[in-house]
Amino acid sequence: MIRLQDVSKVYDGATVAVSDVSLEIQKGEFVFLVGPSGSGKSTLIRLMLRQELPTQGEIWVAGKQITTLPSWKVPLLRRSLGTVFQDFKLLPNKTVHENVAFALEVIGRPRHVIRNQVPQVLKLVGLATKADRLPTQLSGGEQQRVSIARAFVNRPLIILADEPTGNLDPATSVGIMRLLDRINRSGTTVVMATHDHAIVDAMRRRVVALERGRVVRDQSRGAYETPGQNPVEV
Amino acid sequence: MRLQYLFSQAISNLRRNVLVVFSAVVAVLVMLTLVFGTIVLRWSIDQDIGRWDDNVRVIAFLSDDLTLEDIDTLQQDIQGWEQVDGIEYFSKAEALEEFRELFADQQSLIDVVEEDPSILPASLRIRPVAAADYSTITDRLVVIPGIREVSAADEAIDALVARSNRLRTFSVWIVVVLGASAVVLIANTIRIAIFARRDEIGIMKLVGAGNWFVRIPFFLEGIVEGLVGAALAVALVWAVSGSIAELFSTSTDSGALTVPIDFLIRNGLLIVGFGGATGLMGSAFGMWGFLRD
Repeated sequence: MIRLQDVSKVYDGATVAVSDVSLEIQKGEFVFLVGPSGSGKSTLIRLMLRQELPTQGEIWVAGKQITTLPSWKVPLLRRSLGTVFQDFKLLPNKTVHENVAFALEVIGRPRHVIRNQVPQVLKLVGLATKADRLPTQLSGGEQQRVSIARAFVNRPLIILADEPTGNLDPATSVGIMRLLDRINRSGTTVVMATHDHAIVDAMRRRVVALERGRVVRDQSRGAYETPGQNPVEV
Repeated sequence: MRLQYLFSQAISNLRRNVLVVFSAVVAVLVMLTLVFGTIVLRWSIDQDIGRWDDNVRVIAFLSDDLTLEDIDTLQQDIQGWEQVDGIEYFSKAEALEEFRELFADQQSLIDVVEEDPSILPASLRIRPVAAADYSTITDRLVVIPGIREVSAADEAIDALVARSNRLRTFSVWIVVVLGASAVVLIANTIRIAIFARRDEIGIMKLVGAGNWFVRIPFFLEGIVEGLVGAALAVALVWAVSGSIAELFSTSTDSGALTVPIDFLIRNGLLIVGFGGATGLMGSAFGMWGFLRD
């Protein structure tokens, strides 16, 4: 589903964000990208989204070689991806329903599809009763649910999540992780960058650990820290 | 639905920065008012020039030593020039006849020319295709041996042609200078609109909205600004077209200077199209380097 081959990303010819990363993620996997700030997690997510191009190496996403993809095909790639961010990225002047519908409107889905799918996905994330609220009238956890609903409403093959629980308290984070887990169980590949130890340790999914842009560990059913290693306090 | 969406985006862009949009529209309005006003002014001057067309003659006075065959050859030669519409031979006898008529009340003058026939030469009277061609004809005539002197009607024509040409240059400069500023002002409104919507655009791009789907509302915005400015300019000039036409006119017959409706429509549409194109250029310029993936 996702394959990176010897990928490096160097900013301004000096700052090395990602260095020689090779990685393969199968359909239906749930993968944590972990590591301290500046280890290259977010850069990897941006590379997979083709928000940036690698300095070296090749990247395949959903069957496409995205490094050589012409820019007019990028929108088509993005339609097979759902994205969730730490800051939710909701439009403040649109209601919950409108925020989710927006994702379908701008890719030209017909009105009856929108009318059908938006309530469905809002029910999935547990916000069916709050469809007419504005984002500012919701808690952080609820806002993140809206953004997950928006990411998932088009039934993408892959969900890319960059620190989705970064702004949430532990209890709320658990709810968000349950939701992502549920989406993953429906067959959607989930790649999530995080530095939340508790979540990674509780979920016991594949862990790809990064340090200074390099993959230092790739372990199925892993924990945040290598067994025996002392936890690093941030 | 998508079309409706694109238009509603463009309209809400326009509403969001009324003041900036206003300045862009005014820039287009000023530029195109001047351009369209100049077009109408040129029309009236060309009308004036046109009125001369029928009456202008270039007169080539001939040497007395030319034979009738010489004159015949010369006449046929000149008749072949592309600027020449018609040519007429005017003999010494006819010249004298004309002189007698013109100065019938001054017998002393008539006596003088009757005594010395060499004073009134024979001539060729040449009718140009257009009044403005007379100078070309004159230039070609003066170098021909056997032509003593060339007289052409009018410095007035020269002045009119020069004025018409100056107006043409003037309108080109208006388009270059004011056109550039209109394009920049429109580009500015587009930048501001993009900035105001940057979060929305970011999300649109993330969820896979097509590049043109993102760009079209901004193009529409620029085109609307250009079209509105142009339409106002056309309306303004149309309303005062009569006064513009009379500005430099030498004609005393004011009825002759009603600018014809079809002329106004034809050029008005041209101006509106030009306004739209200015808007399009402004939008493209404003989006340059922005709205990439």
